[in-house]
Amino acid sequence: MGLLVSLAIRNLGRNRRRTLLTALTVALGTALLTMALAMLNGIFDSTIERGAGMVGHVRVVNPEYARREQLMPLSDNLPDPAPLVAAIQGQPHVLGVFPHIAMGVTAARDDQEIGEIFALLHGAPAAYYTDVLHLDKQLAAGTMPSTDKEALFGIALLEELGAKVGDKVVLLGQTQDGSPGRARLEVVGAVDLGNRMQNRQVWASLAKVQYVADLDVGATELLVQVDDYQEARAIAADLRQLPALQSLDVHAWDERAPFDAAGALIGTIRGIAASLIVFITGLGVLNTMFMSVLERTGEIGVMRAFGLRRWQTVGLFFVEAIAIAAIGGLAGVALGSPVVLFLHRVGIPLGEGASKLPAALPINQTIYPVLTPQILLTGFTLGLTMALVGGLLPAWRAAGIEPVEAMRHRR
Amino acid sequence: MTQLFTLFFVFVSHAFAITVDEVLIHVDQNLTYETRESNLTMTVVKAGRTKSYTMHSYGRGQDEMAMEYLSPERDKGTKMLKKKDELWMWMPDIEKTQKISGHMLRQGLMGSDMSYEDLMESSSWRTKYTGVITSEPMLDGHKVWAIELKAKDSTVAYPKRLIWVDQTSFIPVKQELYALSGMLLKTWVMTDIKPIEGKQFPTKMIVEDKVQQGSRTEITFDKVTFKVALPEEVFTTRWLER
Repeated sequence: MGLLVSLAIRNLGRNRRRTLLTALTVALGTALLTMALAMLNGIFDSTIERGAGMVGHVRVVNPEYARREQLMPLSDNLPDPAPLVAAIQGQPHVLGVFPHIAMGVTAARDDQEIGEIFALLHGAPAAYYTDVLHLDKQLAAGTMPSTDKEALFGIALLEELGAKVGDKVVLLGQTQDGSPGRARLEVVGAVDLGNRMQNRQVWASLAKVQYVADLDVGATELLVQVDDYQEARAIAADLRQLPALQSLDVHAWDERAPFDAAGALIGTIRGIAASLIVFITGLGVLNTMFMSVLERTGEIGVMRAFGLRRWQTVGLFFVEAIAIAAIGGLAGVALGSPVVLFLHRVGIPLGEGASKLPAALPINQTIYPVLTPQILLTGFTLGLTMALVGGLLPAWRAAGIEPVEAMRHRR
Repeated sequence: MTQLFTLFFVFVSHAFAITVDEVLIHVDQNLTYETRESNLTMTVVKAGRTKSYTMHSYGRGQDEMAMEYLSPERDKGTKMLKKKDELWMWMPDIEKTQKISGHMLRQGLMGSDMSYEDLMESSSWRTKYTGVITSEPMLDGHKVWAIELKAKDSTVAYPKRLIWVDQTSFIPVKQELYALSGMLLKTWVMTDIKPIEGKQFPTKMIVEDKVQQGSRTEITFDKVTFKVALPEEVFTTRWLER
């Protein structure tokens, strides 16, 4: 074994250029893999974080509202959310608490019949629209509302109404008792979320929608933003212990539809994307190792002619491959990690196009790659595995050929 | 088989001393009017919550109806105007007269079990339905005709009605309203029948939406006057905005 190791080290040094090129390929492959996986992590985390933020990292509702939530039952509301907001606001990890109302309405321009065009009307504090939904960055025209008589309208809804910024639109829904809830709002901003369904919404002040729904100071839900959305379940569990919240439904984003069911699906998509990256990068390393050993078939024939057994020949290439993969892998991790860490700090701007993506699949305009120990391990292990497979397969094959036949490869 | 059914229905429709048409003529005489002015109270019970509205209403023939909400405070001043197949609404806080159409017409009138479409429908059944008297049972101590009405065309809100008409007052004291699928949508009970200016008139109606369980609407006519002289302006959009 000692002989094989010393032979392998000598072989590595004998053709330094080849060794360096092979190790460099492994290093580059590992570095690229590390960066690509970190980037993928960043995209998925950003999408989930933003989606979770839109529905509230933690949400507090009347249990009956949670049970019938598809019907958006206004009558199952939180009649006095102020003490609840105060109780939640001071808790660890809580960044903000936003009372929110969503209700279905029909819309019409002043001079139109009402009853045929539908929209989803939101009422929430202005900070929710800017800090959580980032609607100020999704404006296709106009500005953010500054009074209760103004609202943001989705561009698909405006198109259907034939309305534009500056027009007044009548909204007619039902109050919590079923009587007509109405508002006449000026369109001050047109919002483009990149998705026709999402662009059929209206965002008005909380006070205005409380009036339309006849909820006085109430809201249908409290949306809680926390500092780490991945810890939302634990934070929700802590919030449930608060005396003021014990009779209410308090759940994290990933405990509620659609994220509870979508979690496995997102994991699968993430796995498939990661596998593709691993496969493509691995193929590059495999190919380089394969070629590097294949060109030494003649050399293998000579070694076999000198009496080296087949397993010893393969063992020699095994040690060489391990050495190249270890050096290349470590170099790749050392090369890729600082780049990822730097990009994590400064972010990668995706440009204006990202803001036009559907809000149902919200991706931030800046992606921050996320490096995890698993990614480092995956990068290193992949480099090592591909180097071993790429080295051993041709070596095993070449060592099986008659030495005379193998030596002909030299010419 | 078809012939057997035809024979059965011919037999059934001739087995009673009065025909469906005759019953419906009497019903129409009671429930339709030339002009009407009334004060109403509508109480809606839904999901354990009760809300009451008081209204002042005017009617002329089968096609014109105007209504103003007097309470509660939030809805005070809301006015509705029905003219043939059109419904207009004035909402004071948005200061606009808005024509109501489509989906909105199927919503409950002020959240009640009566839809805007119910309000729009002409009260004359004879023009819209054909029927057959199926039996003469007793209902709450009164002899009634049980009649099955089927719509002549698809423009009506309820393709099938089962009605029980009191044989003394000619008032449909109970109705069951069905969808085309045969699903029971609403029940409508008329009580407290009083003679008013030569008509028998139900001064209380109870409507229950059978799709929304636990929902119930009671309409009480506090004051009804027929054959009143109504100013022409009442049935115009000008009146809504006045």
